[in-house]
Amino acid sequence: MNTGFVQSVRALVTLKPKQKLTAQYLLSLLIAVSLAFLVGAGIMLLCGYDPVACYAALFKGALGKPRALGNTLAKTVTLCLTGLAMSVAAKAGIFNVGGEGQLYLGGLAAAVVGARMADSPAWLIVVCALLAAMAAGGAYAWLPGILKVKLRVNEVVTTILLNSAAIYFCSYLANGPLKTAERGIPSGTDSIAAAAWFPPLIRLSSLTTGVFYAAGITLFIWYLMTRSTAGFEMKITGTNPRFARYGGIRADRLALWGMVLSGMVCGVVGPLEVFGLHHRFLTTLSSEFYFDGMLVAMIMRYQPVGVILMSFFFAILNIGGSAMELSAGISSEVILIVQSVIIFFMAAEGGISEMARRSAAERRVRRAARRAEKEASA
Amino acid sequence: MSAEGPVVRFEHVTVQFPGVLANDDVSLDIRRGEVFALVGENGAGKSTLMNVLYGLQKPTLGSLWIKGRKIGPRHDPLRAMAMGVGMVHQHFKLVPSFTVAQNIVLGMEPKRRGLFYDQKRADHDVRALGERFGLPVNTADTVGELSVGLQQRVEILKALHRGADVLILDEPTAVLTPHETDELFEVIRRIVAEKGMTVILITHKLGEVMALSDRVGVMRRGKLLGVLPTAETDERVLAAMMVGRDVIFDELREGAPGEQVVLAVRGLAAKDDRGLPAVRGVDLTVHAGEIVGVCGVEGNGQTELTECIMGMRPQTGGTVTLNGRDISRHTPRAIRAMGVSWIPEDRLSTGLSAKATVTENLLVGKQRQPAFSLLGIHYRRRNARRYAAKLAEEFDIRSGGLELPAASLSGGNMQKTILAREFSFDSPVLVISQPTRGVDIGAIEFIHEKILEKRNAGCAILLVSADLDELFRLSDRLVTLYEGQITGRFEAGSIDKQEIGYYMTGGRQKEARKA
Repeated sequence: MNTGFVQSVRALVTLKPKQKLTAQYLLSLLIAVSLAFLVGAGIMLLCGYDPVACYAALFKGALGKPRALGNTLAKTVTLCLTGLAMSVAAKAGIFNVGGEGQLYLGGLAAAVVGARMADSPAWLIVVCALLAAMAAGGAYAWLPGILKVKLRVNEVVTTILLNSAAIYFCSYLANGPLKTAERGIPSGTDSIAAAAWFPPLIRLSSLTTGVFYAAGITLFIWYLMTRSTAGFEMKITGTNPRFARYGGIRADRLALWGMVLSGMVCGVVGPLEVFGLHHRFLTTLSSEFYFDGMLVAMIMRYQPVGVILMSFFFAILNIGGSAMELSAGISSEVILIVQSVIIFFMAAEGGISEMARRSAAERRVRRAARRAEKEASA
Repeated sequence: MSAEGPVVRFEHVTVQFPGVLANDDVSLDIRRGEVFALVGENGAGKSTLMNVLYGLQKPTLGSLWIKGRKIGPRHDPLRAMAMGVGMVHQHFKLVPSFTVAQNIVLGMEPKRRGLFYDQKRADHDVRALGERFGLPVNTADTVGELSVGLQQRVEILKALHRGADVLILDEPTAVLTPHETDELFEVIRRIVAEKGMTVILITHKLGEVMALSDRVGVMRRGKLLGVLPTAETDERVLAAMMVGRDVIFDELREGAPGEQVVLAVRGLAAKDDRGLPAVRGVDLTVHAGEIVGVCGVEGNGQTELTECIMGMRPQTGGTVTLNGRDISRHTPRAIRAMGVSWIPEDRLSTGLSAKATVTENLLVGKQRQPAFSLLGIHYRRRNARRYAAKLAEEFDIRSGGLELPAASLSGGNMQKTILAREFSFDSPVLVISQPTRGVDIGAIEFIHEKILEKRNAGCAILLVSADLDELFRLSDRLVTLYEGQITGRFEAGSIDKQEIGYYMTGGRQKEARKA
């Protein structure tokens, strides 16, 4: 036989170890999603709904109409930015749980800039507002960062506490010194200059031109984490800080910068909402956006590409879920249960992949053993 | 005895790992009341086979019998313990912040009124257990503060407390000093002779096999090559079986050390993690092209000494100079830049990032060089991979792929990875701690060659090791360290192992003898 041909076919079939890992990972993710939807279907059956119709309503509600798709993409942007903010800090071995507060401060800073600079050209307003948001978010993350690096104060504790401080501080300002004189606005700041609003890309949806800024930031974070020298050093620091120090990496500085960068990204999420949606700062700016983002980041183990994809999936669940309630008449509690079950399965993916890997290995050996036996008897 | 049948029987045990047959059709009987040594290079499958016995690893094929009972598929460490199988792992599984007694009773604590943990009875039980087996321990000590030898003793007691009569010891002497090793052997002999225990010893130190075991099984690449009565074999035969060829230990040193003092340590003092003085005024010089060996019982300041030189631990006094330039009180980053490389004793916590890839581990320290970083921003991945592949070949690092996590490497290959990285800096000073701890014979030979190559090339090397054979083989000069102070200085060849032992214990034993 033509052995050269056989060999080249074999080389094509056998993947490199790294590719194999990726392939296995995707496969296990697929299994997890399928299982999740199956269990979700079971729950819906139990509650007396038709799962096929419900899932159809879910996807149609999230992707069916341009407007729905726009909303889903807008949600993706929020999840993706917050998820990446979590990931970039975690990669450097520091955990930012304070994104919610940084987001609020960023939103407020941007809204103030947007309202005060009303006479400036629109582009300048946007640039200044984004910079102000990043500065506010970054500075607010620097505080727990420096406490961690210099005094070894647990950053999880400080960031959680700082969340409330920031949210209530913003709330105070929006209800007090910065409260708008306009009528019908319960608690919010003055409206920003109309020229600087992010116009919607799809009519009536919440997808605005803000998505371009988000895309830029996403690209930057992806590059930083996976392709840059700093990302390399962050990975070493995040996986073993002592080793990083011994290897001559300034581990503390990296962790601090990871934290600040994370805060800056969170800060930007604020103006995206402010300039795109409310056109002013409202005390209801975020409904725990950052915690959803954290969930996405943790499930995807802080891998940037994974976070981007999983954000889209989460957005479908979120937007489609609300639509499902309206179109399929399924109660929102059941939808929430199904969503939680699906998320639960995604999180359990690690265990599932391990199981799959083991059974595959066992099968291979059994087959080899059988073949060996046959050869021996022949 | 033999009428009872084997205490443990492996029948055609096969274990498949992704890409590797860790155990390949192994059939083996362990007899009651024997010391059975299982030898082989790292990655030969010894630990995997024992993990099967202890229930940590399910065999893909084949079956296991313990005391005449066939073991089902649900075998796990709890069931293994219930059947009297205990295991002491190479990396201890103890809770550092718990006391000795707490660690030993953990999982089966004595209770008061069936509810509350009974500290007094735990202490009492553990003390009694220690006395019964001749393994005295201080039950109230915190385990994290004990020497490695004592931690191992706690592990052994833990297994005995659970009623083990088959004791698996995985590389038990890898972390022990000669004296501790002797003590351990004493204990093993005693529990086998007096208590009728069966001991399975995983090791690759052939001297220990010869000294201690009744029978020896040799593994290579997952296969059990054969089982021999220890009395009918010798080290040379076993070594050849293990590595598949004859091992020759040559004299590789060339030329005399240079005249120039490269590394000078003056009056160095430092504290340990508990804040107690660990290094107390150490003076040392290392010349170019010289290896100075530091002998000492573990925990006498060696770790702290090397950490100080590398800047990983603040020093409380003294100076360290490199070619006359003071390098003390700098960050590890600065000290590296001034020309010191260090091979730390603890591979997983200091020497590597287990989750980062082998390539990344090999590159650390060079990631900002223009070849690997465009303008200090872009990570030049392809160059890094090419470089790693070259280093891996040069240092014979065997891996499933350089883009896999370093955790996938065997202990020997982890060590070679660290060695490859640190040697590639071409630093004038090398500080090397425990270079061959837990490394197989083939790799030891290789590592020793590489160290001597560095010496012959003019490197000043400070070598810390718990392995006297290694120190005697490599060093030009030896110093003994006892309680953070230097108690003796010797030219290589001017002293033998017996004698140096006296200095390692502060010279007190010698005086006692003279008297």
